[in-house]
Amino acid sequence: MAQSDKLERLMNLTAALLDADRPLTADDIAERVTGYAEGKEAFRRTFERDKDELRQLGVPLVMEVIAGSYPPEHGYRIDRADYELPDPGLAPDELAALRLALQAVRVGEQTGDGSEALWKLGGVVDPGDDVGVGAPPGDAVASLPPDPSLVPLFSAVLERRVARFAYASAGGDAERVVEPWRLEYRRGRWYLTAYDHDRGEGRNFRLDRIRGEVALDAPGTFEGPEPTAPEGLDQPWTYGEGEAVTAVLRVDNEQARWAREQLGDDSVLSTEPDGATTFAVPVTSWPAFRSFVLSFLDHAEVLEPAELRADVVAWLSRIAGEAVR
Amino acid sequence: MSPLNAQDRLRRMLAIVPWVAAQPDGATIEEICRRFELDAEQLQACLDTVFMVGVHPYTPDALVDVLVDHDRVQIRLPDFFTRPLRLTPAQAFALLAAGRSLQSVPGADPQGPLARGLAKLAEALGADTSEVVEVDLGEVSGDALAVLQRATAQGRTVEIDYYSYGRDAQGVRRVDPWRVQAEQGRWYLEGYCHSSDAVRVFRVDRIRRVSVLDEVFERPQGAGPLEVFRPEPTDPRVVLDLAPSAAWVVGQYPVEAVAEAPGGRLRVTLAVAARPWLERLLLRLGPDASVVDAPDELAGAGADAARRVLARYGE
Repeated sequence: MAQSDKLERLMNLTAALLDADRPLTADDIAERVTGYAEGKEAFRRTFERDKDELRQLGVPLVMEVIAGSYPPEHGYRIDRADYELPDPGLAPDELAALRLALQAVRVGEQTGDGSEALWKLGGVVDPGDDVGVGAPPGDAVASLPPDPSLVPLFSAVLERRVARFAYASAGGDAERVVEPWRLEYRRGRWYLTAYDHDRGEGRNFRLDRIRGEVALDAPGTFEGPEPTAPEGLDQPWTYGEGEAVTAVLRVDNEQARWAREQLGDDSVLSTEPDGATTFAVPVTSWPAFRSFVLSFLDHAEVLEPAELRADVVAWLSRIAGEAVR
Repeated sequence: MSPLNAQDRLRRMLAIVPWVAAQPDGATIEEICRRFELDAEQLQACLDTVFMVGVHPYTPDALVDVLVDHDRVQIRLPDFFTRPLRLTPAQAFALLAAGRSLQSVPGADPQGPLARGLAKLAEALGADTSEVVEVDLGEVSGDALAVLQRATAQGRTVEIDYYSYGRDAQGVRRVDPWRVQAEQGRWYLEGYCHSSDAVRVFRVDRIRRVSVLDEVFERPQGAGPLEVFRPEPTDPRVVLDLAPSAAWVVGQYPVEAVAEAPGGRLRVTLAVAARPWLERLLLRLGPDASVVDAPDELAGAGADAARRVLARYGE
């Protein structure tokens, strides 16, 4: 019954650290928590493993200097406020809806954690006939891609921690110091909306351009208010620095709808009776916009400005010419 | 069910103990097993253990008190284990992101149980609103998505007016819709296409019109993950040399083979499902790509396409 002994010991240890009104030393624990073998060395080995296991589960077990001890002595404790989940007070249909959501949407590479989260909230409850989520139960509806920065940045949002990371942009990698407010998934990518300290304004950051690890300051290191970040930063032709040039693009009827979805309704200049549509698009990265335009093959044409039109012609002439040679 | 290891048991017990203790009359063994996903034997083993748990001096008032009467369990607690352990950040994020995803599907009830549950969850996590995670699964215009979801659930064949981007062609097809799923920021329909007599994946935003037919079909069981791009063994292959500045192609296109080529270039092999697809890639890459090997029907695809577009510019 080694499994039971271990479960009993881990629960006793957790109970002791939750219940104590001061940090407990290793000696206190050896003496007061049942389930540890006799002998200092055997205790130390088992206790080290137990601490690791509890921390893996997310138990906030901390080691600190015991106040007033001299010479300073280290003790262990679990802060109840950090341990306990505040009761969200979920009704059964709400819990069932959350379960359905976890079944329908795969978030990142995560597989096993869904159930445990539900247990903590009151267990797995079957959805009734309709929980109003517009998805047939049991069917996968979507998957969201993983990103190593998601969970750290989510903690930063919840705990109002200033975040620091290296960010790749047109001018090379640069360190950013930001106040993270919101994580957003759109057009197949994760974005962070944050207040950028150096630039003094709200910005959107693409998570896949964050290099290396995200470092977080202490909780409560910013207050707000929530910044507004410029919209539409997510198309590649808006990435470059410098003045935007307005390109006028005409797209044939068959492809116009798709172009409109990419460029937004606001960019529509005019629509002809046959459905062909003309757009005005602010462009800061011309190569990226050229790629977009060429994806329409001969169904689209840059009308203005003349330099951009000439650039397309020069680019295509090179491709056309090379094959002839 | 197989025996649970100590961690699995601990995860469950740290949730089961506070939940049962909070029920005024306890709970039945059957309900605990259902909620916490274990069988009666596993639960019994856990309860036998918990019954011994407590703090020094392990007097009755310092122990977890478990009462099993027939099929009903009651737990009384000293002043600990009264609440479950907090959600880990990863768990909290997964719940919120999954919930917000479903909330974003057209037709979701903005005041329904999911919306209410997410709002409560966000508050318990210390956020003002569940909108700290925002999800847009993909562009949807009109009611195509809703119609397809309904047809899929009812097993009804549909007729779609579809623009195939790869082939750069518009056409009407008859399809048995098997599933509708969002991947990489787009909604896709997977199903059996009668018009091409094969399983096909369609982008929902390129469907101009859907009509549901009277015919019904049986959906095959056990589908794997939805593969957005699925080259056929019979598709022609091309070999390209890429300049270092075009190395990103390897990460973003379904490249089947990569080798180093002279001058720091990369030599890649790609399956070409349709000619316009290759034309776009070559026009986009321009001088950064050169075709090393291609079947006759694709040789000169880039130059031909370039001349066609130039003609539009009056050149």
